[in-house]
Amino acid sequence: MNRSLASTIEALIAVAVTAWLTSALLPMLGVASSALLFLLPVLLAATRGGVVPGLMAALAGAGAYNFFLLEPRYSFRIHQFDNLVSVFVLVAVALVTSRLATRLLAREAEARESARKSDDAAALSAVLAEGPPETALAQGTGWLAARFGAVRLLEAPMLPQDDAAFSALDLSAAAWAMHNGDATGHGTPVMPPADWTFLPLAARNRGEAAVAALARPVDGRTRDAAELEHLGQLARLLGQCRDRAALDQERRERAWLEERDRLRRTLLASLAHDFRTPLTVITARLELLAMHDPEAGDALASARRLDRMMTDLTAAARIEAGALAPVIESLDLVDVVGAACDALPRPAAVGLEQRVPPELPFVPADPVLLHHVMVNLIDNALRHARTTVRVSASGGDDAVTLRVEDDGPGIPEPDRARVFERFARIEGSDRSGGSGLGLAIVRGFAEAMGMTVSVDRSGLGGACLAVVVPLRSEAPA
Amino acid sequence: MSRILCIDDEPAILRLLAVILQRDGHGIVPARDARAALAALGDGAVDAVLLDLGLPDRDGLELLPAIRQRTAAPVIVVSAREDVQEKVAALDLGASDYVTKPFEGDELLARIRAALRKSGSAGREDTMLVHGRVAIDVAHHRASVDGRSLLLTPREFALLRALVAAGGRILTHAALLEAVWGKAHREDVEYLRVAVRSLRVKLEQEPSRPQLLRNEPGIGYRLAEG
Repeated sequence: MNRSLASTIEALIAVAVTAWLTSALLPMLGVASSALLFLLPVLLAATRGGVVPGLMAALAGAGAYNFFLLEPRYSFRIHQFDNLVSVFVLVAVALVTSRLATRLLAREAEARESARKSDDAAALSAVLAEGPPETALAQGTGWLAARFGAVRLLEAPMLPQDDAAFSALDLSAAAWAMHNGDATGHGTPVMPPADWTFLPLAARNRGEAAVAALARPVDGRTRDAAELEHLGQLARLLGQCRDRAALDQERRERAWLEERDRLRRTLLASLAHDFRTPLTVITARLELLAMHDPEAGDALASARRLDRMMTDLTAAARIEAGALAPVIESLDLVDVVGAACDALPRPAAVGLEQRVPPELPFVPADPVLLHHVMVNLIDNALRHARTTVRVSASGGDDAVTLRVEDDGPGIPEPDRARVFERFARIEGSDRSGGSGLGLAIVRGFAEAMGMTVSVDRSGLGGACLAVVVPLRSEAPA
Repeated sequence: MSRILCIDDEPAILRLLAVILQRDGHGIVPARDARAALAALGDGAVDAVLLDLGLPDRDGLELLPAIRQRTAAPVIVVSAREDVQEKVAALDLGASDYVTKPFEGDELLARIRAALRKSGSAGREDTMLVHGRVAIDVAHHRASVDGRSLLLTPREFALLRALVAAGGRILTHAALLEAVWGKAHREDVEYLRVAVRSLRVKLEQEPSRPQLLRNEPGIGYRLAEG
């Protein structure tokens, strides 16, 4: 308003000066050229002050022109039609110029505003790009607070229930913003009476997202839509930084987990190693003793059993840690069964039958894991058999089944489901003497290779434990 | 009879090895770490080396090439580690064989015998190779088991010849594939499985229960004396 008044006064002065000049120079200029000179104050006023000063200048100019220059001079009467035209032209010029000038001014203001916004965004980005994401996020929040008032980051879905700064209405607005991804609270169409504005940190389609809470301005004004839009963009910048921080955190956690797994593997390996060194001395000394003293044979067998238990323990730990990575190759079951049977000391009273038809297809499996599976199954059978253990294989086009059967007491029907559980030594069936891990390892290793295990009654009278090996060569999902 | 360098950081194991090796009349040269082992190799000739992979000052796999550089004597790896890849790596690096702790004395002595036999005949171009019940006449491309002659395809013959020449030492899958099919087929384990299966039908009394051609899971094959 003040600016408009000042422009109007300026315009009137300019019109007065023009009137004085033209009336003084009229004999030299002529009426037409003098009329043109009245355009100058109109243009000046319309450009600088807009419509009202422009129109005032036009009307004042037209009046002055009529009064001082047109015949009859020093009166407002208009004699000729073309003089009326000059009045119209002055008014039209005032209108058009002021419109143009106003638009230009608006553009300029807009450009300045958007430059300011991108400066803000650039400054915030610079702050957020500095240092590790977590400290940068705190810095960025601080930067925003320094410019726009109190800022808090609220993590979805945890609302600060007992924070005095947030009323019940604020909390509902925050929950809405987190859930729907809209800006809510002060200045927005959603719950505007709230004391804070809640701006989502992520794009709308991200589900439950964190929000930035921005306090109502201290001077009591209401933030307009353009400002909130700008703040929304800045909030999303914070959001990107927060995502980076989260990613960083996740990466660090993963690295930590990997390191922990590596340590665990190293620990297991060195434990097994440290355990085996004295065990080697014990077994070898017992072996020497057993040459002369049959009594040492029992001790020797026990020492060998200890070693197998250690192997089972490390195997169980590998299953537990999810650290199994089967290396699948093509195996001949003759090799698999032969090597497993050779790996075990055979009780004198028990016969071990191997029935693997030599024409069976090769199977895709990890040689070490499958060896361990078969050793554990045969060891289990040898411990429970009375006279016979039979290892057999049979197959079709899709799968080959390996069976280990014994003529021991068998496993009662109700207990069969639990046989492959850890430490599931079935009561009353004398399925003992092992680590309690052997069959759990059988299942863990078999499943890691995409095979299935089952238990049934054997034709020999005891238990029949079976492993079904699918013949497709893909690794298990 | 033979001087055997035993490299192990555990004194109890070294004393044990001395007792076991004594049974075959071998003398031991003990070394408790890699430095001592390399120094011992500089001092005098040894006939074989027993190398524990878990040494305090240097990884055994790292030491292996250094030993191979200093002596032609066979190296048998003695390891408490279960890792199959490590055993294969040791064999690929030039170890003759491996034994896993806890080992049996007889087994260890048998491995040493096989390794010494192999190194004793190295360099000679034998025309007759014999291991246990299997004999091979290289010059005439003939093979026999228990005096019964075998009709073998060229691949089967090459495979059996490699195994007999190794004299009971283990040969890795990759080494056998390279020896019989060439370097390009080092990974094609299935070729080997097929050939082993057909060789067993001709060689073994009970092909489904092989006594001669023995597999060690994930590592390779060896020919047992049967």
